[in-house]
Amino acid sequence: MPKKIPKAVLLLLALALLLAACSSNNGGNNSNSSPSPSSSPSASPDATQTPAETKPPLQGEDGLFNIANFSNVKSKTGEPIEGGQITFGLVSDTPFEGTLNWNFYDGDPDSQVLGWFDEALLTWDSSYVYTNDGAATYEVSEDGRTFTFTIRDNVNWHDGKPVTAEDWLFAHEVIGHKDYTGVRYDSTFENIVGMKEYHEGKASTISGIEVLNEKQLKITYIESNPSLVTGGIWTYPLAKHIFADIPVADMAASPQVRSNPIGFGPFKVESIVPGESVVYVRNDDYWRGKPGLDKVILKVINPANVVQELKSGGVDLVDSFPISQFPENANLSNIEWLGNVDRAYTYIGFKLGTWDKENEKVKMNPDAKMADVNLRKAMWMAVDNDTVGKQFYHGLRWNATTLIPPSHPEYHDASNPGVAYDPEGAKKLLDEAGYKYNGDFRTNPDGSELVINFISMTGDQIAEPLAQYYVQAWKAIGLNVQLEMVEFNTFYDRVGQNGEDDPSVDVYQGAWAVGIDVDPSGLYGPTAMFNFPRYENAENDRLLKEGVSEKAFDKEYRLSIYKEWQQLMVNEIPVFPTLYRSIVAPVNKRILNYAIGDGTGVYLHQLQVTQDSPVVAE
Amino acid sequence: MWKIVARRITIMIPQILLLSIFVFLLAKAMPGDALSGLIDPNIDPKAIAEKRIQLGLNKPWYEQYWDWITSALQGDLGQSFRFKMPVTELVGERMANTFWLSLATLVFTYLIAIPLGIISGRYNDTLADRMITGYTYIGFAAPLFIFALVMLWVFGFHFGWFPTGGSVEPGSTPGTAAYIASKLYHLLLPALSMALITTVTTVQMLRNEIIDTKFKDFIVTARAKGASESRIYNRHVLRNSLLPIAAFFGYELTGLIGGTVFIESIFSYPGMGQLFLSSISLRDFSVVTALVLLYGVASILGSLLSDLILGIVDPRIRIK
Repeated sequence: MPKKIPKAVLLLLALALLLAACSSNNGGNNSNSSPSPSSSPSASPDATQTPAETKPPLQGEDGLFNIANFSNVKSKTGEPIEGGQITFGLVSDTPFEGTLNWNFYDGDPDSQVLGWFDEALLTWDSSYVYTNDGAATYEVSEDGRTFTFTIRDNVNWHDGKPVTAEDWLFAHEVIGHKDYTGVRYDSTFENIVGMKEYHEGKASTISGIEVLNEKQLKITYIESNPSLVTGGIWTYPLAKHIFADIPVADMAASPQVRSNPIGFGPFKVESIVPGESVVYVRNDDYWRGKPGLDKVILKVINPANVVQELKSGGVDLVDSFPISQFPENANLSNIEWLGNVDRAYTYIGFKLGTWDKENEKVKMNPDAKMADVNLRKAMWMAVDNDTVGKQFYHGLRWNATTLIPPSHPEYHDASNPGVAYDPEGAKKLLDEAGYKYNGDFRTNPDGSELVINFISMTGDQIAEPLAQYYVQAWKAIGLNVQLEMVEFNTFYDRVGQNGEDDPSVDVYQGAWAVGIDVDPSGLYGPTAMFNFPRYENAENDRLLKEGVSEKAFDKEYRLSIYKEWQQLMVNEIPVFPTLYRSIVAPVNKRILNYAIGDGTGVYLHQLQVTQDSPVVAE
Repeated sequence: MWKIVARRITIMIPQILLLSIFVFLLAKAMPGDALSGLIDPNIDPKAIAEKRIQLGLNKPWYEQYWDWITSALQGDLGQSFRFKMPVTELVGERMANTFWLSLATLVFTYLIAIPLGIISGRYNDTLADRMITGYTYIGFAAPLFIFALVMLWVFGFHFGWFPTGGSVEPGSTPGTAAYIASKLYHLLLPALSMALITTVTTVQMLRNEIIDTKFKDFIVTARAKGASESRIYNRHVLRNSLLPIAAFFGYELTGLIGGTVFIESIFSYPGMGQLFLSSISLRDFSVVTALVLLYGVASILGSLLSDLILGIVDPRIRIK
């Protein structure tokens, strides 16, 4: 039996290796992408399609890219053919989960699969406000609390049955049910009159939701605020004629979700190979009109193979593309690159307190190591994020200034310069604040030793050099910063995702994908668990409240509030943003009418191709 | 013999129980849980906290272990958090894929090993032998995951002879001939990649056995009796040399488990290995523990099988 032992060791070793590889893949995603189905395109009257006639080259003379040179709409070249089929690559190192219903899914891979065959009843424009161009329209009452929705007459499920108000109510009833297994029941649901009572089992119906007739639904909300019309309404119906007989607890695992999913989108699911591929066929009865393509094949491809698949025409489109691989492949002959500003930012956070579990709010610690705003500001001044973006990301990430990213162009205050790179200024600021040198490094104003512990996530090959750069930049102004690279899960455990903040962490580098609603109180509000800096300030509270008050329905007012908030964050620096991000999407040259991002006015049913088979790289 | 089987199985039970505790503790020691991937401003932390209680993730480990082991004994391995379906069903779905992949790999392994081993052993120290041993040394040295990536690039992408991912062509109807053909076609490259690496041990073993055997006295006797060379090799040398190979079969099965974990990930082949890795990174504990347990049982059964085969083919070492 001596052979047995080496085998077991080998297996363990192999596992250890792969574990490392896996976690780093995960970490590379930083935080998770937003679960809001942002990929569903939507119309807005002002978003006219302007295919760039003479595009500037993507790459500047300095070898850098600028996201402003990218279009987010595929250019119109060539004549479409009748029908045709395309392959969509779902880039993932894991199979998709297969929870194929908007009411139950929780992961991004599934939302990519869902986007082809089902959609929301309401669409939104480029500033993420619900429009009246979708499958349903809405009217708001005087006080802003009661919404009357009307589903269009020609909106039908794939089995031919109409999508009804009853279905929409049913979705609310299922999500609010105590046996519901998904993660969608949250404060936006509790904002519906009578929802809490229903959830707790005190009422058998939701008093705030009323079915007026087959196609009309009235929902009354407890509190009216601007967030309500940017993602605060649940807009996915659940086919009652199919799900009514299934117990709520079993719905997510039922074949009606997993193998024969139903929707009312432009394509119907024809067949599914669990976890690896889906074949869709055209839904002739689609409410916007007959789709241009006959067939769409979705298959999971390994991130390591995505470039090869694109070159060989194995896939026409992919859901995401690793930005680190872009510069080498920017000139692929069969690909047109689309680009857009990502709804995300990377940031450096300072731990200013802890989470008070009892009262479920943050508790600031005035004696925290990072409590002095001068120290935080000096650390911001010491880092040259402009160069970081150029050197590490070829210009595809760039210096961030405020905590509302430019993906929200109206709310992002472009006139706010943030804090500029100024290492000399940083030294001066520290000198004035009393951080005196003692040897190589500075001490606290009271003379005690100052060692700052910094944690950052492992990830792609850039993660560690980037973190090291920050450490060096801080060393240059005399701060002794100790770096620890940790894996994704450990990172968020230590930063305090469960409310147990690791006291040894002073500074951390994280990233947020922001929601479609601009309201940042989920990240910086005093009762937000994800307020990892554990920062609280009366002015901050006021602004966050004002931003979602009734008064904020006035857009100008809301804009001014968030402008003020961005400035407050630049003054207070509980965290500072480091980089804004872009997304790039490769599209095979034969594809027509495709766009990424929101409010483009380009819909999936318009997709067409100019030739039968994909263009192959030369 | 049946006594031995019974005895071995009795020993297996505490082994597996110990393994299960070990596995469970290791899984729990990993930072984060299935819900920590949901850090997102759009999901209410309260909803997550509620889920945690619903899933029992807030209980101490021994309570969680007890809940798990009692239902596992009743055949219920729990619910996958990520896939939202019973683990048994999920694993069953994937096990078929892994089974066929392993089978194909085994077939290839022996198809390659036996002729190469015979040539190499029979004509040792010739050019052919040198080339074959050269190949085995490369095989020993090449890490499986690098080799598989190269194979994928060369034959999958560069020449385009084989599909580059998945277990079956999208849209084929299960049960049809085309479906089975497509499944086989998708199997070929991953199975061959793995077989080309795993086979080298067997080639070397067979070569050494043959060289060893062919100088034995009974071979000399056979030659003296005027038996033809082919008769000597096919009847006398080969039969005796194959014994250890047959005995090694059980261990080969355990080795396959490690191999499929790599291969499935590289070829995006949805089997148990791929499920295992993704479940670890997503902290889908119920799947991880179930799979490790399954792998553990498979290894123990593999070694049992080896011992039994050894006993059958070689009466000299029959276990009492």
